[in-house]
Amino acid sequence: MVIVNDRDRVDWREGLTVQGLLDAMGYSYNLITVTVNGELIPEEEYGSAPVPDEARVTVFHLAHGG
Amino acid sequence: MGATTTTGAGSKLNVIIDGQSVSVARDSFLLPAARALGIQIPTLCYHKDLTPTGICRLCVCEIEVRGKKRLVTSCNYPLRDEGLKVETRSPRVLQHRKILAEMYLGRWPNVPVVQGVAKACGVTSSRFTSELTDENPKACILCGHCVRACEEFVQERILDFAGRGIKRHLTMPYGEVDPHCIGCTSCAYVCPTGAIEIVDDLNRPVDPKLVRDRGMRVNAEMATLDRLQNCMRKMGTANIVQVMDKYDLLPCHNYKFGSHRDSFQIDQRKIVKVVTQDVPDGCWKGCSMSCAKAADDFELRTGPYRGQKVCVDAPEYETAGGTANMGCFDLDFMFEFAFYCDTYGIDIISATTTIAFVMECFEAGVINETHTGGKKLRFGALAETLELLHEMARGEGFGVEVGQGVRWLKRKWEKELGADPAFLADIGMEVKGLEVSEYMAKESLAQQAGYSLAVKGAQHDEAWLIFMDMVNNQIPTFEDKANALYYFPLWRTWFGLMGLCKLPWNDIVPADNKKHPPPVAAKIPEHVENYLKFHEGVTGIKLDEETMLNQSARVHNLQRLLCYMLGGGTRDTDMPPYRMVGPVTREEYESRAERYDKQLKELVGVDPAGMPVEEKMAALRRYRLDQYKKVVDAAYKRRGWDENGVPRPERLKELGIDLPEVLALYSARR
Repeated sequence: MVIVNDRDRVDWREGLTVQGLLDAMGYSYNLITVTVNGELIPEEEYGSAPVPDEARVTVFHLAHGG
Repeated sequence: MGATTTTGAGSKLNVIIDGQSVSVARDSFLLPAARALGIQIPTLCYHKDLTPTGICRLCVCEIEVRGKKRLVTSCNYPLRDEGLKVETRSPRVLQHRKILAEMYLGRWPNVPVVQGVAKACGVTSSRFTSELTDENPKACILCGHCVRACEEFVQERILDFAGRGIKRHLTMPYGEVDPHCIGCTSCAYVCPTGAIEIVDDLNRPVDPKLVRDRGMRVNAEMATLDRLQNCMRKMGTANIVQVMDKYDLLPCHNYKFGSHRDSFQIDQRKIVKVVTQDVPDGCWKGCSMSCAKAADDFELRTGPYRGQKVCVDAPEYETAGGTANMGCFDLDFMFEFAFYCDTYGIDIISATTTIAFVMECFEAGVINETHTGGKKLRFGALAETLELLHEMARGEGFGVEVGQGVRWLKRKWEKELGADPAFLADIGMEVKGLEVSEYMAKESLAQQAGYSLAVKGAQHDEAWLIFMDMVNNQIPTFEDKANALYYFPLWRTWFGLMGLCKLPWNDIVPADNKKHPPPVAAKIPEHVENYLKFHEGVTGIKLDEETMLNQSARVHNLQRLLCYMLGGGTRDTDMPPYRMVGPVTREEYESRAERYDKQLKELVGVDPAGMPVEEKMAALRRYRLDQYKKVVDAAYKRRGWDENGVPRPERLKELGIDLPEVLALYSARR
């Protein structure tokens, strides 16, 4: 189980990457900042950065528009 | 385009530069990669924010691919080969640079930047002199920075090169001053020699350099980052239509739902295909964002200009949101509706929100064709909706009534038709008489309060907190939400007070904004500072965040007091229609039943299993309205207002607006 934004629970699977997690959450926003267990993940590493089981992830959408 | 290239997820590779192995993004360029290692490479034409061209050829390096060596210009050489070997100071490279440096020095012997580059190449004098030698220390060295800045920063082509070979020179079209030049000064800003100078005599800012420096930062970000972020230059504010739909935030059918299967018909992917004017729009002279778009030769099908081909100011986000709210998922309809709203001088948000309300009332049987002049005003009624708009403009028939807005219609139908006031209050999307703008706030408590506490009514420009609250869960406590409802409305008020556009604040973001923790990143500190420095450059008055917020707070509190003097400005006027807070109808509840049932179980402490939908709706309503009350309590407290939402005398004193007549009013009303 992975906890996203201190609220949402996502089932963990072997080989889960940041991009896989974003896909699972349906997060397609351009301006996203991701941390995994407090560590900032560079955007170019979303496809390879692993998300371990029990990880606490923040997916921060920068609010533009309005 | 800028000096970096797009990188996809996970697209890294290793290259070896002067024996050092380094991991780089695929398709990034060699020069910045080498410089990141501390390797000095001379250039005259490279600029970090402009597309590299390699025209000075001083940055050559020697690469080895599959055993073959060759020279390449490093500034625009994309790194694509794993294990690529690079030598930045091989004998062949140094010889090449030395000859070039001698030639540059021979032509422009007194230009400091040329002297510096020549020295870096081991050249202090030149064997080459001729009739081309220019002794001017501020001579143009044909680096092309200005040409690229003009095109890439502000999307103009005022400057360009003319002539060939030794006759190549910088010029405007036909050698004349181009009237299209907007005086943005980008060319002078990037000129490395001082060949282009700006005489600052416009508006007499206190510190024109400070103003220009900050403006150029925005220009550079727009040139390099916009295409990777929000694509404002290409799509304008409509860029978020698809995202809003995906996150269940696009108002559909009078805010019943946050997405619709047909929304793709009116999102930015369709809009850009109709737009023909994708150029600087003149909204603000020199603005490099140029978000306003237009469509030429759009043939109208209805109204007084039917059959004519016109230019349409292309839809913004709110246009698309309002169109979805009316269920009119048709691109031609949206452009025609937008054209006539602009032509008639009708606010598109109020018009679409009011018509969406009318449509729901029609479908719910509150009104029928006898009230609408025979029009079947169901959601998605394209022709009838356009006819209603024309009636509104002509001052005829049902259009006259609809033109009065949601609040007026509610009162009329309650009084004359005996319509259920509670139902109309729930679905009539207005606060303080102003129609709600185009965001679904049901799942964002902070946005509900942002809308409803706004002094002017439910306009989103005081606080746009949906993503921060609903998606990021970044302001989870009432205190967090109250802090956001303090800072962002005051910040947004400040734009209005200064007459400054909000878009360069958060519709473009510095590449390194991620270095901040999320709560700080949300404010985009570097861009807040841009505005404060702009204020300082124009007026000479330095501001910090607190001073800025207090400038706004004085006005914000006076506005609230004016409302109070007029009989409003209290808690009861800060109540939203329940549709903004939660599901009003069974249809709405059932459309998101999984979400609502989960909330009942986890948040309300009610087991929804086996409960009738009406009971579940009632339980959810009690919970959500209680939550709304609590967030308002917290926001009032943070703002220094009393429990009824009136600014306290102590707060007025803090802000220096404790005028006797205001305090007297406060005492009298208490």
